[in-house]
Amino acid sequence: MVKTKSKIEEEIQAIFNSDKPWVTIVWDDPVNLMTYVTYVFMELFGYSKERATELMLKVHNEGKAIVSTGSREEMEHDVARLHEFGLWATLQRGDQAL
Amino acid sequence: MGNAATRGSSTVSEQAGFTRHGDNAFIAQFSESEREVLINLAGQIIELLSERVDHSDDDPLAAMVGITSHDSPPDDEVLLRLLPNAYADGVDAAEFRRYTESVLRNKKKAHAMSMRVLLKSASDGGIELDHENANAWLGAINDIRLALGVRLKVEERTHDELELLAPDDPLRGVYAVYSWLGWLQESLLQALMDDTSNEVN
Repeated sequence: MVKTKSKIEEEIQAIFNSDKPWVTIVWDDPVNLMTYVTYVFMELFGYSKERATELMLKVHNEGKAIVSTGSREEMEHDVARLHEFGLWATLQRGDQAL
Repeated sequence: MGNAATRGSSTVSEQAGFTRHGDNAFIAQFSESEREVLINLAGQIIELLSERVDHSDDDPLAAMVGITSHDSPPDDEVLLRLLPNAYADGVDAAEFRRYTESVLRNKKKAHAMSMRVLLKSASDGGIELDHENANAWLGAINDIRLALGVRLKVEERTHDELELLAPDDPLRGVYAVYSWLGWLQESLLQALMDDTSNEVN
């Protein structure tokens, strides 16, 4: 009985987790300053200066970077905050090709 | 990404930009003309973000929770850059816009208003920001740069092409302001980052 219950819980967990890997992508643009993009990553996501700089450079060099992952709702929240500060951000399922 | 103009550039004023004072004060001194330019640009951004009239008045509840009746991206190129699509997919983007665009407009307007109000009350040009105000200013300056960047076609032109605009080209003045704002934003970022680099993460 106990086992069955935990199995159901696992399945329920799996259903919710299947909705989990959404990603927020920031795209490069020619206006936003490198320092500004780094600062926004630190302020909005609480990333260290090193991590924020690394992500900024990835955006700059590769044209885009995944800056956060989570549920769809969480990523919509992140995109809204990035838009508030003028970064060019979109969200999509993590299993979709970038 | 863009690069901030350096101080040697002819477009940059003789001021020092923002400097840090203590834990939570970021101070700058603006000339009367700089102050006027900033007040004017902030006003234009506020106006631009207020332009699109929606019909949420028809539904007071929708208006209260910030749902707008339109879900199409703005026609204006500048507005589209300030209020971009959140999804590549058109249907998802429209749905997201319908529920969030008016909130985003209001947040951006609040940033620009915060900047404008402080500048208007600083008749001697002296500005002191705390961390929160500084973030609003960064957002507002950035929105102005994004708007000017669209007009300057920064996407298509190289830095050198913009530097070499003819003296009678009306965009030359726009580019001077754009560069100055980049320099000003960078000075505020440097002042802020002094602090953050000292914090233990």
